[in-house]
Amino acid sequence: MSTVDTTSGKRSALAPFAKPLAAVGGVLAIVAALLPWVTFTLNDGNWPDKSTLQFFDAPFAVTGFRWHLLLLGVLILVAAFAPIPSRGRVVRALGWGVAVVSFINGAYITAKGGGLGAITALDGATAFGSVAGLVAGVLTILAGYGYGITPVGEWKFKPPTPVAYLVLLVSFAGVLLAVAAMLTTGGVGTSNPYAGAIFLSFLGFAGGVLGALSGVGFIRWLSVLSEEHRVFSVIVLAACALLLPFTDAGNEYWMTVAANIGIYAATAIGLNIVVGLAGLLDLGYVAFMGIGALVAANFSGAAAANFGIELPFPVAAVIAAVVAGIFGAIVGSPTLRVRGDYLAIVTLAFGEIFTRSAQNDIGGMTNGSNAIPGIPALSLFGKEFNRELSIGAVKLPAGVLYYILIVLLVAATMAVFANLKFSRIGRAWIAIREDEDAARAMGIRTGQAKILAFLIGATLAGLAGAVFAHKNATVSYESFKFLESITLLAAVILGGMGSIPGAVLGASLLFVLPEKLRDFEEFRLMIFGLALILIMRFRPQGLIPDRHRRAELADEDVGGAPVDEVHAASKEAKA
Amino acid sequence: MTTPVLEARDVSMVFGGLKALKGVTLTLEEGKIVGLIGPNGAGKTTFFNCLTGLYTPTTGQVLLKGNTLPGDPAKVTDAGVARTFQNIRLFPSMTVLENVLVGRHVRMKQGPLASLFHGPAYHRGEKAARERSRELLEFVGLRGPDDELSRNLPYGDQRRLEIARALATDPAVLLLDEPTAGMNPQETEATQQLIFRIRETGVSVVVIEHDIKFIFGLCDSVSVLVQGELLVEGSPEVVRADPRVVEAYLGKPPEEVELDIEAAKGEQA
Amino acid sequence: MSVLLQQLVNGIVQGSLIALIALGYTMVYGIIQLINFAHGEVFMVASYGGLATFTLLPDDLKKSPAVALPLMFVGGIVVAVVVAVIMERFAYRPLRNAPRLAPLITALGVSVFLQEAVRVWYPNATSNLPYPKVFPEGNLSLGTISVPWTGVLLVVLSVGLSILLQTYINRSRMGRAMRATAQDPDTAKLMGVNPDRVIVLTFVFGAVLAGVAGVMFGGYLSNINIDMGFQNGIFAFTAAVLGGVGSIRGAVIGAFIIGLIKTLAGQYMPGGTQYDYVWIFIVLILVLVFRPQGLFGEPERVRA
Repeated sequence: MSTVDTTSGKRSALAPFAKPLAAVGGVLAIVAALLPWVTFTLNDGNWPDKSTLQFFDAPFAVTGFRWHLLLLGVLILVAAFAPIPSRGRVVRALGWGVAVVSFINGAYITAKGGGLGAITALDGATAFGSVAGLVAGVLTILAGYGYGITPVGEWKFKPPTPVAYLVLLVSFAGVLLAVAAMLTTGGVGTSNPYAGAIFLSFLGFAGGVLGALSGVGFIRWLSVLSEEHRVFSVIVLAACALLLPFTDAGNEYWMTVAANIGIYAATAIGLNIVVGLAGLLDLGYVAFMGIGALVAANFSGAAAANFGIELPFPVAAVIAAVVAGIFGAIVGSPTLRVRGDYLAIVTLAFGEIFTRSAQNDIGGMTNGSNAIPGIPALSLFGKEFNRELSIGAVKLPAGVLYYILIVLLVAATMAVFANLKFSRIGRAWIAIREDEDAARAMGIRTGQAKILAFLIGATLAGLAGAVFAHKNATVSYESFKFLESITLLAAVILGGMGSIPGAVLGASLLFVLPEKLRDFEEFRLMIFGLALILIMRFRPQGLIPDRHRRAELADEDVGGAPVDEVHAASKEAKA
Repeated sequence: MTTPVLEARDVSMVFGGLKALKGVTLTLEEGKIVGLIGPNGAGKTTFFNCLTGLYTPTTGQVLLKGNTLPGDPAKVTDAGVARTFQNIRLFPSMTVLENVLVGRHVRMKQGPLASLFHGPAYHRGEKAARERSRELLEFVGLRGPDDELSRNLPYGDQRRLEIARALATDPAVLLLDEPTAGMNPQETEATQQLIFRIRETGVSVVVIEHDIKFIFGLCDSVSVLVQGELLVEGSPEVVRADPRVVEAYLGKPPEEVELDIEAAKGEQA
Repeated sequence: MSVLLQQLVNGIVQGSLIALIALGYTMVYGIIQLINFAHGEVFMVASYGGLATFTLLPDDLKKSPAVALPLMFVGGIVVAVVVAVIMERFAYRPLRNAPRLAPLITALGVSVFLQEAVRVWYPNATSNLPYPKVFPEGNLSLGTISVPWTGVLLVVLSVGLSILLQTYINRSRMGRAMRATAQDPDTAKLMGVNPDRVIVLTFVFGAVLAGVAGVMFGGYLSNINIDMGFQNGIFAFTAAVLGGVGSIRGAVIGAFIIGLIKTLAGQYMPGGTQYDYVWIFIVLILVLVFRPQGLFGEPERVRA
């Protein structure tokens, strides 16, 4: 069998033009940032940040998306002339950033302004910002291909511990700022008519920069660094997260959203153990969260609860986690005999059995479609978690205590995941994922290991479910249907399988986007389905790929043997 | 006479109507290297799979130091029989060191709780495992960076890494399935030296190979398998001189062609 | 006794519907080992396609079932085939050599997308839509049992089309190419079989059957909704697995078994019809665990 290497040996016809294209693209992006974008003032008010002609009343006050464009343009010029690894990838990513920002703003203005006149020329006024930006983006992308899409740069540099700490600290602080910006940019859904556009445009910018950082090898280097100093990383990340209430995002609305994201992120990290580490596709995972939530609800002392006893939350949470874990082991037990796709279907069947049973109020435990309402809020020292908090002069928004609890939960889940990943059992899981037969030949009891993965994943989901029950005050089977399982799976895949920051990022994106895109609420799930297809097609390794996982789903950046050769070899070995 | 370290007694294997192995007996004395040769389809790999617990022999038994081997590859490895694969089966997306650490799996005491909480015992065990793994990498001659992903290694190094991974299970017996397939003469020579050094550490070795020169230069005893039957067994000199072997295996010129194909296959895999 | 007989007959009718869908799963899996999770949605889309065809007909044609019904079948089938071909070409084909997780997740994405596309863009699709009454009305009565004529038609169509398909695959040149590709794609390719064509054709056949099933579903149950694809898709998949994935006859027999389990469990098992799904899922799990090759499949040899 032979494989044809398609990545090298073929030089792009654009190669000689790469540098001029990038230069023109970069300059044009900067020009676009300074041009007017709208020919008149829209009905809903100025397009964000003075991008109508009024800009010229206040020259050089470049803010918002135009500031982003300006930055991208400068970065393109830097990338075109500075000696950096994998220039093609960097330039391509920046080009996409420019193109997306320009397209989103242009498209929104066109839609809101009632025609292309709004972004070209109308009544003597001209505004070619979006056109120029789009052209700049396309030119830059072409330049990227011209440079050639070479493997991602690999940084061998290993900094001494203090420097590593500093790098991690600065990076995570950057992440905090980015998250706060992501949450607050454009404001809350209904208050700003342009919220959706501002947010999407911001995502385009952030995506471009992230892609460039990833292309140049920084992200990979950072993730290796954070794995080496994982305790420090988790602490710093948690600290950063705890600072969020003190940023612009520190209001009740965002605390609630962030807390919900946290619950799903914790669940997604649990799922990541099963799917990302052990390579077992679980299509009914949200059922374990449901089981945890139902157990906690029944012990909460709510009027509709089945047990008249009210257990303290920690006890109820532990019971919820244990029960979910037991179910996890049961659902996982077919792995002893079933592999691959078939296992995925078994988990789907278990998930559906859960949904059906819960819907029909099995054993009188779930209240069926009436749900279990009125679950009391958690409280500590008489302080209810859903109230405001003031410590001296500092006033914190309502829900901040839940937020803190959930940040701690996520941090704990992350620590569990990281510890397991770098342990005997974690290595066994990865070995099973890579080659089950070889893993057995190394003495790994694969059946036990796989059931353990299901058990631990389910336990974490059960724990998250218990918090979910109190946080939302109501538990209904509706929250734990097939689509939720798919959403969690999508969060794991989008973020990057086996990677912890990936799971958090994936969960954030999937649960923030609907909040931000109220304009598209109707299309939310459709976009979601389309996104799954596109991710699998174009970036199957996810946004922040795990170092181990890189080759598993994608074969684009390969150093040695082409990946499909490896796959073909293992396929041959099985035949 | 001492108990042989590995003994296959009268092993037969039947798939449906096909008799893949017919009463094969093989004895491996401690500290020896036994070679297993035979034309394609002779049942060498099937026999290997019986030795490693992947197949349970239809009749007959396999004994390790006088005890019957369990019928599960994981338990067989635990008991002290390690193997490599004909087509390299490393964990491609794990680093070089991690591959060997997976081999340490059965010899590590770390339970789920230690894995979860990373207490002092975890760190001690992990450190010891890493040291042992690095030793083994050194031993097989892999001196490159151990945080390279294993799929990025050159072919010969992948073979060596597979041997290091198998040795990490502290085996009494090491089964090597075509360890020099696809190697050039220098690499083959180095592999031979490596196997001698493995024997010196007290590990007994069974080798399947197509390269007859290699086998005769390496082994203390050679068994020839033809059509599922043990044709001849004895020292390389005896086997080399046996007319039946010459006829069944060595005498036919087309065999040479086949060997080349095998080598080419190995190279690509 | 008559209740039992009636439920048996109902089970066979439901089984016929499931069989039509199950054939699509089993053929695609047989050729490219993909669980085409979105196939259930192809069936759903076809049902809406048939309904849309009827809505678009001029009023006088609407009144004549002999014209309207065939046109609805054509409409449903065309929609199903177009969707299936686009799906194969743009979602699955680029992933043909990818690890197996990728196409399965893509299939989930396609499934969500199709369901939502219909919900958003088809008028009033959020609620149950009544299906036009152009099907033969009334019941066939046999003693105490009665079957609607739509049910009879469903059984006839299902059995007839399965036999046709089986014959085609066994006898025709293209059928031989399909079987060859299923067994060994590389060798088939060397023998001059164009795998892309074979695979597209497999999707098309599956879609045609799903199209017929979609329209008949509307006729048999008189109204349709966007959840029908997911539910019946799972049933059909279970049937395909039960019969041994890749086997045409197995899928049909498996479908009848599933139909019977559904109606009989609904009648006789604790919990009644509220839990009939649960029993089917339990059967699915048991089959996958204890006889993954299906009731009629050959056990796979241990491989090393």
